[in-house]
Amino acid sequence: MKQVLICGALIVTLSMGIRHGFGLWLQPVTMDRGWTRETFALAIAIQNLSWGIAGPFAGALSDRFGAFRVLIVGALFYAAGLIFMGLSTSAIGFMGSAGLLLGMAQSGTTYAVVYGVIGRNVAANKRSWAMGVTAAAGSFGQFLMVPVENGLINGVGWQYALFILGLAALAIVPLAFGLKEPAVVAPKGPQQSMKAAVREAFSHPSFLLLMAGYFVCGFQVVFIGVHMPSYLKDHGLTPNVATTALALIGLFNVFGTYAAGTLGERLPKRYILSAIYALRAVAITVFISVPLTPWSVYVFASVMGFLWLSTIPPTNAVIAQIFGVKYLSMLGGFVFLSHQVGSFLGAWLGGRLYNMTGSYDVVWWIAVALGVFAALVNLPVKEQAIVRAQPAPA
Amino acid sequence: MKLGRALVWLASGAVLMLVFAAYLRPDVAMTLADQLWSCF
Repeated sequence: MKQVLICGALIVTLSMGIRHGFGLWLQPVTMDRGWTRETFALAIAIQNLSWGIAGPFAGALSDRFGAFRVLIVGALFYAAGLIFMGLSTSAIGFMGSAGLLLGMAQSGTTYAVVYGVIGRNVAANKRSWAMGVTAAAGSFGQFLMVPVENGLINGVGWQYALFILGLAALAIVPLAFGLKEPAVVAPKGPQQSMKAAVREAFSHPSFLLLMAGYFVCGFQVVFIGVHMPSYLKDHGLTPNVATTALALIGLFNVFGTYAAGTLGERLPKRYILSAIYALRAVAITVFISVPLTPWSVYVFASVMGFLWLSTIPPTNAVIAQIFGVKYLSMLGGFVFLSHQVGSFLGAWLGGRLYNMTGSYDVVWWIAVALGVFAALVNLPVKEQAIVRAQPAPA
Repeated sequence: MKLGRALVWLASGAVLMLVFAAYLRPDVAMTLADQLWSCF
């Protein structure tokens, strides 16, 4: 168990960390290549969608052929994507590398794939905690890599920084062997097929409710992530306030993901998820209702940071609890796809409604309403393991 | 065992504080405020 946990945590630290600072390349890449910000932003949008869409496929391949194979291919994609991102001189090439390839790489090296192995190798009563440790490692990777990547770009230039990160991504290859599972001898009798598992999940109300909750998670996190600096700027706050807020979100995110995983050992996960979404709704309501000052931003950033990725461990642990671990990566991939659709809408709708109304007020209130909605839809989730009919012996 | 666990927590806390301090360096702060948030 220790080996799975350490290797899984290191893999997620790398895979989540490297991607998190891509915004730092916006200025040097667009200036050097003569592209607009829109070209760069479109590549990042493609990356996020590609990550979400490829997720269920990477998960299915992982469940079928083993996570370590998917991780190795994912690491190679990651390295290739970063290197071609540095070499691309055309916008199409940049979309293909920074967008499509890196999105697919992330689907093969992040939570869904790693959680499948954790689910199968960690005792059920420790699973939520183990997922919390891994998620906290991913959060730490995000927190750590931003200043590291900033230093790399300033030290060796943006292209070499990408090449170095490409090499760093290859470290996932040896770590993947730590997640290599022994071949399982299938028990006698009919087994649930992948298709049947998908059908079962999508006809189970709790799976749909979890997907709805995760959609809200993506919407809120990305709306705040993308639009918060503009919101602060509109209200006359300095860039330093935005940066400190970013650091606080990163710091408290590490604690929040670990705490959510640990709490999952003791409390029903639906209550943890419901509380997270309800607290987000309360935090946003208070934030937009009180006068905006640097300290109100810092408190909000700390609270939201604590709740940032804390939905990941309980959501995935409850999927494992209901449906078992055989197809955990694939089902986790489907739920994550819903998260990414929410992310896309959070980024896009934030800008769209701002243009239409001249302020972020409407979107903030949508984020509050969605938080209340997600808090409510998680309450009726049934965490009991599904009982499958056994075919009668011949 | 308890001492070992306490040391792990202490070391983790120290690393987190160091990274947090890295964000507050003026050069990093300006780059992040200007660039990173736009593609968070």
